[in-house]
This record gives sequence, C-alpha cells and structure tokens, in this order.
Amino acid sequence: MCSHRWPPVLAGITIGISMLAAYIIAGRGIGASGAMTRFGVTLQDLFFPGLTKESAYFAQYFAHGRFPLNNWLVYMMVGLIMGSFVAARLCGELRVETLRGPNISPAGRLGLALVGGLLVGFAARLARGCTCGQALVGGSELSVGGWAFMVCVFAGGYATAYLVRKQWI
Amino acid sequence: MDLIAPFVKTGVISETVNLVLAVPIGFLFGFGLFHAGFTDSRTIAGAFYLKDATVPVVMFSAIVTGMLGLWGLSLVGFIDSAEVFFVPTYLMPAIVGGLLFGIGMVIGGYCPGTAVASLATGKLDALVYFIGFLIGSLLFGDLFPLWADFYRSDYRGVFRLDQLFDISLGWAVFLVVVVAVLGSLVLRLAERVLWRGRKGIGTTAEVAEPLSKPRRAFPVEATLAVTALLLGLAMVLFPTSAFISDEPEAAPYYIIPKASDEPQTPAK
Repeated sequence: MCSHRWPPVLAGITIGISMLAAYIIAGRGIGASGAMTRFGVTLQDLFFPGLTKESAYFAQYFAHGRFPLNNWLVYMMVGLIMGSFVAARLCGELRVETLRGPNISPAGRLGLALVGGLLVGFAARLARGCTCGQALVGGSELSVGGWAFMVCVFAGGYATAYLVRKQWI
Repeated sequence: MDLIAPFVKTGVISETVNLVLAVPIGFLFGFGLFHAGFTDSRTIAGAFYLKDATVPVVMFSAIVTGMLGLWGLSLVGFIDSAEVFFVPTYLMPAIVGGLLFGIGMVIGGYCPGTAVASLATGKLDALVYFIGFLIGSLLFGDLFPLWADFYRSDYRGVFRLDQLFDISLGWAVFLVVVVAVLGSLVLRLAERVLWRGRKGIGTTAEVAEPLSKPRRAFPVEATLAVTALLLGLAMVLFPTSAFISDEPEAAPYYIIPKASDEPQTPAK
C-alpha cells in the first residue's frame, strides 16, 4: 500500500485538491511562508518586544490586540506538519539525517541551507508569498504576479545552479 | 441551489469552523508534499539541473487541478468568485522577489512549505534552512523602511493573464493547461536525454533511480492530461462574464485605487 514516491501527476493532483478545498471552504489560497513569518515574529516579540513594536511591517500582525499565531495559515501549517509526519511514518521514512549530495560535507550542506533559507525568507516577504501562495495559488488564479514570480524563481534557480553544483551533483 | 462556496464567506460555516477545517486542508497538502518527494532537498534541487522533472510536473499538475476546479466550479455557480480572495499583483516586487527566491531555493534545497514538511520527517538540513528563513523574514520586517517604497511599488490590483493578453478567461485556462502538459513532456524528455545512464542525485537508491517509476504510470498520467485538456477546451466556449459575475464593462476592475494604509496584508 505504502509507496514513498507517487507518480508526480498524482501527487500534484493531491496538492491541487487541497488548494481547491481551501477555495471552497475558506475562499482563499493555501500558503506556507505566512505562517513561518508569524512564528518568527512571535518568537521575536517574546525576546525583543521593542524590535517588533518599532517595525511598521510587523505592527499589523499585532493590530487590535491580535495574536499572530491565531491565523488560518498557522492552522493550515499545523495540518501540513501532521500530514507530512504521518505520511513519513507510514512509509518508515522518519529519520534524523542531513540530506546532501555525494560531494559535500554535512557541515557544508548545513551552511548552504542556512544561506538559502535566509535569502528565501527575505524574498518571500518581498514577493508577498512563496511557491505555495504565489506560484501555485496565483498560478491557478491566473494572476500575472503569480506567474511572473514562478518564472523568475526558475530563472534565478537555473542561473545559480552551476555555482552550487558541487552541493548536489 | 443554496449551498454556495466559499462556505465561510456565504455563512455556511462559522469563522471558528473555518480555522478548524484549515487543519485537514494542510494535512492533505503535507501528505501530498511527502509523496511528491518534496521532503528531500535533492529532488527539489534536481529540478534546476534538468535532472529531475518531479518539481515542475508536480507544480503544473497542482496548478491545473486548482485552476480547473476554481474556474469550473465558478462556471457552474458553486463557487461565487466575487467572494474569493485573489492574490493582488505588485509586479516588480514579484519579479525581484522571485529571482532572489530562486537563488535561495537552489542554494538551500527547499522552499518554505517543503522545508517544514521535511523538518517534520526529521531532516536536519531542513531545520537549519527553517532557522535561516526566520532570520531572513525578520530582517525584512525589522528593516522595513529600507525597502518599503519598493515593496509597495508597481501595484496592479487583481490582474489576470486573460486581461494581460486580452483574451477570454476560458482561453487563458485552456492555454495554461496546454503549457503545463507540453512543459511536463519537454522537461521529462530533457531529464532522460541529458542524464540517461548517469547516477542520480544523492546517495540513496530510491533517489538514484527516479526515472524508472514515472514510466509505469504513463498511461494514467496521459489519461489525466487529456482529461484536463478537454476540460480546458470546454471552458473556451464560455465568455469571461460566465466565470466572474461582477466584472464591470467600463472600467477594468483590476485597476483598483492604490491602498492607502500600507503595508498590504502579507497573508501568504
């Protein structure tokens, strides 16, 4: 019954159905980066409340006494974590490990993961979404911005791929 | 028919129930991400070397499914598209953000959703990537005045491809299906031609041979692709007004006055 890899089209349709369910129930698209930023700003507010208060950008998360984590995207993210965990558990794929190409050390891989995450964290806020909220959702809504974002993600990725080939190939 | 979606907007369910139902929606999403192989950074990075077509094929399939569902259900009157929140377009920020995002994605090996899904399966590179993401997004928000003007620039409102190319919405849907099917075929072909016989990315056996599995599923996938093309073709028959109920004739409604109390909701 359990197979780790489904044919890509079937996996894509599963993801598409979750997007469609979001339209039908919530009248909005799915998204991942929003919940992650909300988690980050909640931590920051815990340790450095001054920084958060001074930020014109983050003030809206707390406007009218709201709590940033009480948000549709955060509940969706809780489900995402459960879904991935359960699927991996069913397939016996739950393992603590560092995924890397054959020609890079674990430390090198982790360093590049940090740099990549930093860039993506910044870029997702600038673009108002990530591959979920902009590319998949914007793409299915026929949004010009969503398609422009998606094309540019692949353009940026292809252009940089050669420089980091040691990490993956 | 009284049951009109989106349910939370038309009063079928309460705001609280809406939040609760977000959990199973996310569950299905995360379940799909795992079975797509997206919890493995090597699969995702492989897309940028034309070595593994999984990422674009999964993305195309998800977009086509969501698109045919959204616009098809609007057409039959089940979804009231006037009540759906559409992502507005800020074109230049989307372009620059997309380029930076792509650079970060091939360096880091994940996008935000896949990193969290991978973290849930115990991967340490995903954990470090996640920490990097938090720092990056906090930098953006804490130093916001530096790029606030650019962030708010080039606002186009809700701006769709059919408006950009001056075609009907049905045609835009059909052409996206065509691009998705052709794009998937070309990228699969590239994967076979460029990397045939070479070792796959990574060290584990299952990642080393991702090429063999899709072949067996080809009849199923071809049937689904033809179905999507036919559904898209059917939508060509309908005028744009059949999908969007309240599109005014005179002033294109995507030219909305610029919002005054920026920043806009960074919902996504």
